[in-house]
Amino acid sequence: MTTIETSLLLAAVLVVLVVGGMRVAFATALIGFVGLFCVFAFDKGQGWERGFITAVKITGQIPHSKMSTHVLGLIPTFILIGYLAYYAGLTKALFEAAKRWVGWLPGGLGVATVFATAGFAAVSGASVATSAVFARIAIPEMLKLGYDKRFAAGVVAAGGTLASLIPPSAILVIYAIIVEASVGHLLLAGFLPGAVSALIYGGLVVMLAKWRTDLGPPVRGFSWGERFQSLPGAFPIVAVVLIIIYCIYFGWGTPTEAGALGAFVVLVMALFKGMKWQQLRGALMESAKLSVMIFTMIWGVLIYVRYLGFADLPGTFADWISSLEQSPMLTLLMILGAYVILGMFMDAIGMLILTLPVTFPAVMALNGGESVTAADSALGMSGTECAIWFGIIVVKMAELCLITPPIGLNCFVVAGVRDDISVQDVFRGASPFFIADVVTVGVLIAFPGIVLWLPRLIIG
Amino acid sequence: MSSHNVIEDDSALSSADRKLFRIESWLNLAGGLLILAVMLISVVNILGRKFFNTPVPGFIDWLVQAVPLIAFLGIGYCQRLGGHIRMDLVVGRLRRRALWLFELLSIILIAGLTVILIYGSWNHAERAISIGDSTIDINLPTWPVKLAVPVMLVLLLARLALQIWGYWRALSDNATRPIAVPLIEDAAAQAAHEAETVSGMADDNESGNQAQ
Repeated sequence: MTTIETSLLLAAVLVVLVVGGMRVAFATALIGFVGLFCVFAFDKGQGWERGFITAVKITGQIPHSKMSTHVLGLIPTFILIGYLAYYAGLTKALFEAAKRWVGWLPGGLGVATVFATAGFAAVSGASVATSAVFARIAIPEMLKLGYDKRFAAGVVAAGGTLASLIPPSAILVIYAIIVEASVGHLLLAGFLPGAVSALIYGGLVVMLAKWRTDLGPPVRGFSWGERFQSLPGAFPIVAVVLIIIYCIYFGWGTPTEAGALGAFVVLVMALFKGMKWQQLRGALMESAKLSVMIFTMIWGVLIYVRYLGFADLPGTFADWISSLEQSPMLTLLMILGAYVILGMFMDAIGMLILTLPVTFPAVMALNGGESVTAADSALGMSGTECAIWFGIIVVKMAELCLITPPIGLNCFVVAGVRDDISVQDVFRGASPFFIADVVTVGVLIAFPGIVLWLPRLIIG
Repeated sequence: MSSHNVIEDDSALSSADRKLFRIESWLNLAGGLLILAVMLISVVNILGRKFFNTPVPGFIDWLVQAVPLIAFLGIGYCQRLGGHIRMDLVVGRLRRRALWLFELLSIILIAGLTVILIYGSWNHAERAISIGDSTIDINLPTWPVKLAVPVMLVLLLARLALQIWGYWRALSDNATRPIAVPLIEDAAAQAAHEAETVSGMADDNESGNQAQ
């Protein structure tokens, strides 16, 4: 059996293990180990015993050595920001500010919900939790004013998905680490597409409310004084996002320091709001657990990636993809389509970490390689830019699956909080936003400049 | 987080599970405190560097030592609560014996991998001890953190042994809701728990205190 045949067989076994319910991190690590054993025992002719020992030693050092990097320190701090944000009194203040500023629009409370969830989701970084929080805050207010139940639930479920792109975004950091791209560039790149997504959602709410006047009335009657009074409560959200963008853009600090500064602002705010030790302890326990989950996925996959390096499966896949007699854009769309299908059955972080070692080199090859210039590339951007752009697109695709059946968790969480709204109703209410997301992805593909404008200012 | 998806009773298995969970919880909390420490030291570093021209000595060294600890201190805790990512669409449809058999096989494979990782990471730590490996900037010895990896993996192995026991018992008894193992939750149950967790984190103090 050739090296490549072995790697295909092991990839098939990996799929069986993952579908069979084995924890993804351990399944990838196990297959990585078996692959390394095959490489050393057979391909390199070390024999069973020496091959086994070599594979054990390589496998055993990866968890520590791959975790020993300061960039990874960013992930726990971003997660901590999210958990602390619940205690910092941000959600109601944000909703109130959004209501006063944009409530006058058709479907005004819906628009306010979109911007409040976008702001909170950005800081909390947790899509599902954001939907849960706003299901309790925004839906009762909307229903009180006679908003359509499905519409209200759909806005909240979809609003949570805006978490992934606006900094601080843990999932973009994970992407950057897996594909070895610049964390700072990725975080900067996410800002505009995240804002565009929120604007498209807001525009959609206005259009829907204009088209069907029974969906929900505008909320008027706030004076400018009242509007400005509502701003200080929402300040930490803006502060965290601006601190991170400012630090990275002006080189004031590393992304890790920027994240820590953001977390510190939210911690101070939470303490000021009377957070107790039990609550801080809860936030720390959850942050630690989620960090472990993500780190385990990363080192598990990196064991597999070490094996893939020996087997050159990504290279072979990339060669095959770029040899296809069809336009690179069509191939890219097919890869993205595969992500939509996979995302319907799998958690976004798991899906990305598992697939990127193979899909990323393929997409880079489609564009013309890592060192290609924009002029010579197939997709009109340099290798570095393509790595950033693909990250934003793929993360947006992963989040989109949070509002699609059968396991769109955001919809389940809204239905879970509101006993009077069925999960089918939430899925139906969220469906216009799914279409809006597809349009957003289309816009980001057609106009990569939206993604690349901020990072280009730094890259030059 | 509560242990809502792990059932407890007064059996020896459940008692061992609870004792180990206490240790795992402390270690996970230590991981959380380390995250807090990393955050604070990073803030001191950036503010110290910018305003007083005095960054924290060996900041990167400390950070690089902290991350692997954060990655491993809570590994058993996460496994106890079924927190590691999996795809349960297929196994979630299985019932009783078929389900416990799948779970048992998967945990045995993870246990096998863990043994390999313990040996490999111990070897990695041993080498650091023998050559006196240290960090680049302020020469912190690297072996304590390297050694923490196999130690945490041994605790994970203990957790996996308990889960093998739990699933084996479930398999023999054809149990519907076995003890000391994380039970699969469907999307609705996961969502309900998510909502429950967040409802304890209300933004207004009144309801926040009530929920606590």
